[in-house]
Amino acid sequence: MTADKTCAEIRRRLPHPPEKVFAAFASAELVTRWLTPSPEIRLTVLEFAFHEGGAYRFAYHVPGANTVIVGGSYSVIKPPTKIVFSWVIEPPDEHAGIQSEVTVSITPDGGGCELLIRHEKFERSDAIERHSAGWRGAVDQLTELLNEEE
Amino acid sequence: MNLAPALDLTFHALADGTRRSMIHTLAHGETRSAGELGRQFRSAQPTISRHLKVLEEAGIVERRVEGRVHQFRLRRKALEQAGRWITRHQAFWEGAVDQLDRLLAEGAER
Repeated sequence: MTADKTCAEIRRRLPHPPEKVFAAFASAELVTRWLTPSPEIRLTVLEFAFHEGGAYRFAYHVPGANTVIVGGSYSVIKPPTKIVFSWVIEPPDEHAGIQSEVTVSITPDGGGCELLIRHEKFERSDAIERHSAGWRGAVDQLTELLNEEE
Repeated sequence: MNLAPALDLTFHALADGTRRSMIHTLAHGETRSAGELGRQFRSAQPTISRHLKVLEEAGIVERRVEGRVHQFRLRRKALEQAGRWITRHQAFWEGAVDQLDRLLAEGAER
């Protein structure tokens, strides 16, 4: 591993309009037909709520090995250019429990588009959340204080 | 075996440009002292120490104390584990996008 590579990234020019490429991510029926690393590995969609905040769960049937289950939720859906979702593999798996995030960007390019998929390890935001929770608490108290003074 | 906590530390360590440069510097198995690394990166010693501590906690470097000199060397295992995670997901998406390309081409012919 080269030390400066900290994510998986794939960029591909596709001779199809962005809407068509976006649609392939947006339906359980279509996803089943391509979202696997190879045709031998079959995908069963267990859950598929394609909207911001919606969850998905995919079962990958690897011939002669365990079924690998991946799940997550969609945080950004902007048709037809952007999709962001979390990606966590369930146990038992070497990489189970690792929080990661996939960003799909679809950029129009002539009659087709450029598809960019970035899959990166998710930096834990526990510390940031603690901070913002702290601020929320402080703002709540301030609001109460101001209300009392009225 | 649960690699998740170890990989959290490794990727956190890799998320910083100075720390990645330090890994490059040590990539061929050389040993460098904290002082030598500090001169090379023109940073204050406390900054260098902090970066080295993050790398050490992630198991990416090992520290040997010789008197007052702290020597650092790269350990490969943590990086190999992170590399495997990246390689696996890279292969996943390469394969998936190949299939997507084929699926869309079929649709276009219809």
